[in-house]
Amino acid sequence: VAAVIPYRFGRELPPRALGVAMNIPTLITLALVLAYPIYYAAYLSFHKVSLAELRRGIFPFVGIANYERIFNDKLFLLALKNTFVFTIFSVTVEIVLAIAIALLIDQKHVWTGRITKFFILVPYAVPPIANGLIWSFIYSFEYGFLNRILFTAGISDTAVNWAGNPATALFAVSVPYIWRTLPFAILLIHAALQGINQELYEAASVDGAGALQRFWHITLPLLRPIIVVILVLRTSFAFAVFDEVLAITQGGPGDATWVASWYSYKKGFAPPFDIGTGAASAYVLALIVGLLAIAYVGLIYRRIE
Amino acid sequence: MRPGPWTRAALHLANMLAIAFFLLPIFAVLFGALQSEKSLHANTRGLWPPEWTLDNFRIILSGGAQRGAIFEQATYLPDNIKKIHFALINSTIISVSVTVLTLIFASLTAYTVARLRLRWVMWLMSINVFARFVPIIVLMIPLYVTFRQMGMLNSIWGVIIALTGFLLPYGILILAPYFATVPQELDDAARIDGCSRFTVFLRITLPLSTPALASYGTIVFIIAWNDLLIPLILNNRAEFMTLPVVIASLVGDVFAFFNLTMAICLVALAPTVILVLLLRKFVVQGLSAGAVKG
Repeated sequence: VAAVIPYRFGRELPPRALGVAMNIPTLITLALVLAYPIYYAAYLSFHKVSLAELRRGIFPFVGIANYERIFNDKLFLLALKNTFVFTIFSVTVEIVLAIAIALLIDQKHVWTGRITKFFILVPYAVPPIANGLIWSFIYSFEYGFLNRILFTAGISDTAVNWAGNPATALFAVSVPYIWRTLPFAILLIHAALQGINQELYEAASVDGAGALQRFWHITLPLLRPIIVVILVLRTSFAFAVFDEVLAITQGGPGDATWVASWYSYKKGFAPPFDIGTGAASAYVLALIVGLLAIAYVGLIYRRIE
Repeated sequence: MRPGPWTRAALHLANMLAIAFFLLPIFAVLFGALQSEKSLHANTRGLWPPEWTLDNFRIILSGGAQRGAIFEQATYLPDNIKKIHFALINSTIISVSVTVLTLIFASLTAYTVARLRLRWVMWLMSINVFARFVPIIVLMIPLYVTFRQMGMLNSIWGVIIALTGFLLPYGILILAPYFATVPQELDDAARIDGCSRFTVFLRITLPLSTPALASYGTIVFIIAWNDLLIPLILNNRAEFMTLPVVIASLVGDVFAFFNLTMAICLVALAPTVILVLLLRKFVVQGLSAGAVKG
């Protein structure tokens, strides 16, 4: 032991002190950017905060008036409804597409699958706001890319106003969102497919099971845990969709694509800058997502055990 | 079990469709960015412009100083495009700083989670699992009020701090399980040789975890480069905007040419798309690790 001691310089911190020292940067950052804002958002949601109050620096207490206001606001209820429709549609389509594409690139004897695999991550890297703007060019009525494709392929001869129809605008916004978030779901399902024991398929084939039966009775049940994880994660993120709405429709046409994040943003950062109401509506969103987070944690820990 | 020729043909076709879908916006942005406004309007039905040009990039990258043939017909250039070099520099500084800071902060914490096993650190870890779910808009409203009162609006540092805090929990969730897979025997051997715990962290845990650090670093860089809401709310002067904020500012501008905005979108997406194609393996590992380990 004595021979070892000269290599130590200085006195070593005991584990407890080292734990505190090494966590100081993280604790300060998280306190500043996460813990305090979550508390302060709650505080703001019970106070009147708009430009005049911001200038004076005094926020009068108003109780639950902000919450009363948003739940009596038809636009907020519509934004919540749109958010639900958007989320259910996007996440459902995404999971179905992700299973299909993951199975497709899992066919190792089809060489084009390697090209698909190479490009799968491209949507993940594209900035959401750029993605939105590119799709508004794709959708454009006068000279959009999608109408050009349909003209050139001879499928249609009349221009379609893809994002301008109130009945379909929400779906027009969800396609770019699905496009951008699909890689994540494909990767997770593809990784789960690698973990399935091939002998199960061979045994089923020997018993005379067709491809569809093998998918339904082997693949799908074994994919269920990861599908549930994707479902919860994607749902909670889709609830907060913002960039694509800003880029493509800005809430329009009419109020057809007002979603929860857009509502909070417009309340707080557009005239009349009612930050208190914005905070209250954002808190409602956070509580809904929080319930999903609890479900997620329950799932993950059950998986690990 | 090799499938028959028809099945194979169908699978090839399905792959072509998937590739076309993944690349559709890339084709669209190239199509828009590489032609002039005039040629876009001259032919509104075709997929092949009458003439290709790089003039859109000349205008953007020179901040409107170099006026190509396209700009002769234009009378107006949005102010934010003239100052786009600020956005390029800001986006780079912010993404690089956030990547470096989150890597340092997250690995320090991840080591204490993986090795020290203190009760309160484990609590911190569980809080991180929840923190990932907090929608940015909830944090941005109070941060705006706080930063406004502290005079920190329109600063690069404000954005860096906010993004770092937002991305830290994710990193701790990826790194801590990975650090735990480094064999404990290596730690013990180094400790017997007289290394302090912190030296073990620097000399053993970190070097052996380069794949996880690369995964997390790449993902953080991409998210930081792409983020809109944080700089949009904190910074509204052209000198402090990032590329996504400049793009967002062009959305309501009816006079901004589609071709110019497509060219800016291409400039904004090129670095992250190239990065993700080069570092595919790391991104794949990071994304899977972040989702299923807790």
